[in-house]
Amino acid sequence: MTQRLSFHDQIASNKIKSFFLIASILAILILFGYIIAIVAGPDYFFFVMILAIIGSLLYIWIGYYNSHSIALASVNAKPADPVRYRQFHTIVEGLCLASGLPKPKLYIMEEEHINAFASGRDPKHAVICVTTGCLEKLDKQELEGVLAHELSHIANFDIRFMTLTAVLVGMIAIISEIFLRSLFWNSFSNGRDRDNKVHVFLIIAGILLAILAPLLVTLVQLAISRKREYTADASAVKFVRSPTGLINALKKIKHESALSASQKHHYNKAVAPLFIADPFKRKLDNLLATHPPLEKRIALLQRM
Amino acid sequence: MVSVLVWVILGLAVLLAVIFIYYYNRFIVLENRIKNSSAQIDVQLKRRADLVPNLVESVKGFAKHEKAIMTEVTNARVALVRSTNLKDKVKAGDRLQDALKSIFAIAENYPNLRSNENFLQLQQELSSIEDKVAYSRQYYNDSILELENISQSFPGVFFFKLYGRKKQEYLKITEAERKNVKVEF
Repeated sequence: MTQRLSFHDQIASNKIKSFFLIASILAILILFGYIIAIVAGPDYFFFVMILAIIGSLLYIWIGYYNSHSIALASVNAKPADPVRYRQFHTIVEGLCLASGLPKPKLYIMEEEHINAFASGRDPKHAVICVTTGCLEKLDKQELEGVLAHELSHIANFDIRFMTLTAVLVGMIAIISEIFLRSLFWNSFSNGRDRDNKVHVFLIIAGILLAILAPLLVTLVQLAISRKREYTADASAVKFVRSPTGLINALKKIKHESALSASQKHHYNKAVAPLFIADPFKRKLDNLLATHPPLEKRIALLQRM
Repeated sequence: MVSVLVWVILGLAVLLAVIFIYYYNRFIVLENRIKNSSAQIDVQLKRRADLVPNLVESVKGFAKHEKAIMTEVTNARVALVRSTNLKDKVKAGDRLQDALKSIFAIAENYPNLRSNENFLQLQQELSSIEDKVAYSRQYYNDSILELENISQSFPGVFFFKLYGRKKQEYLKITEAERKNVKVEF
């Protein structure tokens, strides 16, 4: 009973958190628009404000309904062919029967390291993506453990909050990076041609964004609590009734080599917390780590 | 003063109504979930039964002498198709599963059969069905557990009796029943 209740609690908490996330991002965006409107002057105030409000709402709307597509696109994932990846499909089908969830859409990303993530806004619109390495290097039992872990993220609505955070907050960080870059180029090429007011504004906005961007990425990492991985591990064991598969899979991930510089491009920093194991394999167990250390997860699973 | 009392009574009445409705709906949802999960078991068992004739055909071509096991598979399939309630179906399904295991064990002695494309595909399909049967049974029992929890704890137990809902049974296959399945070689 307590376990069931905690499942419901997690769902409720994830829904509330997602709501507040959307509300605060909307507020930040409109505030940002307000600052631009003030700098632009009273003549343009209403025009800029209306534009800012419509833009922010559109941003949230697109982010909410397409968060999983954005996450999938950022890692260049492709739909998993049901014939070629038969085992992947049948395992997920079995686990869905065990958990009473609808079958999520399945995706593959070309990457030799073992990793996987789930995304979407609710169980009906969920996706699971695994690396090709995951399918090649894990045996059936291990793959079952990993996929059960991803299905638990789907079942307790972790996916909604995690994906929304990664996409909405991460996107601001990505946009601000682009903005900063263009500002940098502008100040060299035609900075002198611009009139003073706009130039001053751009510099202020640039500084603001420069402070904001890394802060936002950090926020993503902090918001997506490491506790989620432990609870997902525990519910995964509940689905498959044995921790062995997941333990062995985590051990295999642990013994893999670190990513090379070119492989790091496969992953987007904002999306990294969605994965079952930190794709960047950072060894530090500090406050900002996106994932709990694998040793600790394995130790906890072994006690079950 | 009087109006305050009226409001308090009205509030309590609404609260009570909400609780009554909540428990009623909770039971319906859980019972539907159990019904649905039993249907899922049924679907998987039926798929298994549908594949058996194909399997028998493909094995016959390579292993003509294994009549006993063929008969057992066919009989188990007939028992599965004929059974009407879930308990019998699951029991027959288990019998069929055991018989299939013997077929796959025997297949090891026939290299031609083992490398037969059609046979391999059926073997894969049947083993994935075996997993799915196990998973759907697990979910069925999980759903029953949830109903038991709510219907045996307070105040659920009161509403359970009030609404006259019926207790549902877990799917249990006893060891004795399992051992009844004997396959002669």
